[in-house]
Amino acid sequence: MKRKASDQIWTAVKYVLMITFAVMCLYPLFWLFLASFKTNQELYTNTWGLPASWSLTNYINAIIKGNILRYFVNSVIIAISAVIITAILATMASYAITRMRWKLSKTAYNVFLLGMMIPVYALIIPLFSIFKGMGILNTYLAVIIPQIAVGLPMSIFIICGFMEGIPGDLEEAAIIDGCSIYKCFISIILPISKSSIVTVAVVQFINVWNDLLLPRIFLTDSNMMTLPVGLTNFQAMYSTDYVGEIAAVIITIIPTILVYIALHKQIMEGMVAGAVKG
Amino acid sequence: MNKVLGNKKSIAVFVLPAFVIYAVFALFPIVYNLYISLFETDLMSGMKFVGLKNYLSLLTDQTFIHAFKNNILLVIGSLIAHMPLAIFFANAIFKKIKGAAFFQSVFFLPSVICGVAVGLTWTFIYNGNYGLLNAFLRVIGLGSLEQVWLSDKNLALFCIMIVVMWQYVGYHMIIQLAAMRNIDAALYEAASIDGASAWQQFTNITFPMIKSILKIDAVLIITGSLKYYDLVAVMTGGGPNHATEVMSTYMYYQAFNILKYGYACAIGVVLMLLCICSVGISNKVFQTEDN
Repeated sequence: MKRKASDQIWTAVKYVLMITFAVMCLYPLFWLFLASFKTNQELYTNTWGLPASWSLTNYINAIIKGNILRYFVNSVIIAISAVIITAILATMASYAITRMRWKLSKTAYNVFLLGMMIPVYALIIPLFSIFKGMGILNTYLAVIIPQIAVGLPMSIFIICGFMEGIPGDLEEAAIIDGCSIYKCFISIILPISKSSIVTVAVVQFINVWNDLLLPRIFLTDSNMMTLPVGLTNFQAMYSTDYVGEIAAVIITIIPTILVYIALHKQIMEGMVAGAVKG
Repeated sequence: MNKVLGNKKSIAVFVLPAFVIYAVFALFPIVYNLYISLFETDLMSGMKFVGLKNYLSLLTDQTFIHAFKNNILLVIGSLIAHMPLAIFFANAIFKKIKGAAFFQSVFFLPSVICGVAVGLTWTFIYNGNYGLLNAFLRVIGLGSLEQVWLSDKNLALFCIMIVVMWQYVGYHMIIQLAAMRNIDAALYEAASIDGASAWQQFTNITFPMIKSILKIDAVLIITGSLKYYDLVAVMTGGGPNHATEVMSTYMYYQAFNILKYGYACAIGVVLMLLCICSVGISNKVFQTEDN
């Protein structure tokens, strides 16, 4: 079939736009990466080129002066704890909601889903006051607990959606054979639901790792800060050390990019599933 | 069977841990937030009941009104900027252009990067002295347009919108792409046998079939635009002189900078109502269309 000239022009336009946007997505990150090796002087004079030397000075500055390593460890502790606890609690609740027989299961499900509509801004001041009363401000718990509470609705939504589709025969056969409900959960349903649990974990990780608001409010002690808060702190304290700040940004985004490269399929699936609650 | 699957004790063991955390740290605070919004308080030296005064003051607070307007501008700007581009990219990838998988991963990448890092990256790009944008303008001979972008109160909000677009177009693209991939391929086969052009296939099959997702996506864009915080906080901090303040940054400012917690809670309530309303209105629209 012969293609019309207008079709060819259209195809060309399509590629030009796609490639332009791809360059727009990647080039700033690449530019930032190169800049992280430059000196402050070079940043002004050498915008486009490679750094004069690949020295790690900026990274060392970011780590020693900027305390970035400490923030990194805090971020890891908070993200990993919040992810594991959210995944476990959400899986258990989803199991009871979708597989067990009780009158209020539908109600419980809807109450959980309600949380997906509530913006976190409606919670932060009461939580601040509660945590102050409990004396846990400036501890990891002050961020881990609300991250779990806020992450549960979407996690339960995704896992329930998956568990509903598992046929009941396996479980029923196991129970007739005298299998306890806990054994049923751990050795039958858990392995089957693994993919949805991984999705939840990955999405929750990205949300917690990237969040600025909660740690900024609840962790004001500079030894407890997470990376996003630490970055804003760095910006305020060393506002003239641009390249040090750039190195700190690179340190922050590298784990995300690595996770993304390894798990981009699950991440995309999860973020779509969580969004389209229809 | 019912004895095991309906056992009250084991149901409680499974549901209660999640439910207690959720109820205490997500549901209860909503009510508590409503309560605090009726008081004047710094959360330390006692609380003074003022009724609806905080809400009434919001109506005459010029900065709040300005922040509210900025949120509305963000909503409109994001709808205009995200929707068409996202549909365009999604359709191109759906129609399997060369490198579709590559484009898909690259476009989505910015939306997983930490908002603070994105904000800082773009402050470097917009920087008046060494920024990428000014250097780029010089290269293409438009050096006269050079600006200190984020310090100009007329340009700053627009600059932020561009970054929001950069970060989230790929996200909305993925949502729409998922909907397109659910369309029955037989429809397209039949259409191309009948000689329908690519454009006709898009307007007569793809677009009508993804309409319901587009509405969900619009709700996401609206609630998302109401809730923006990170980018504004990092790039301008609401400045220059409150020009780019949005409701979330203004609420943070009222609470944690000048300790007017009751007032900030009232802003939180307004934000929550706006989010619930936009979801509610869209649900109404869905139902009437479905019938």
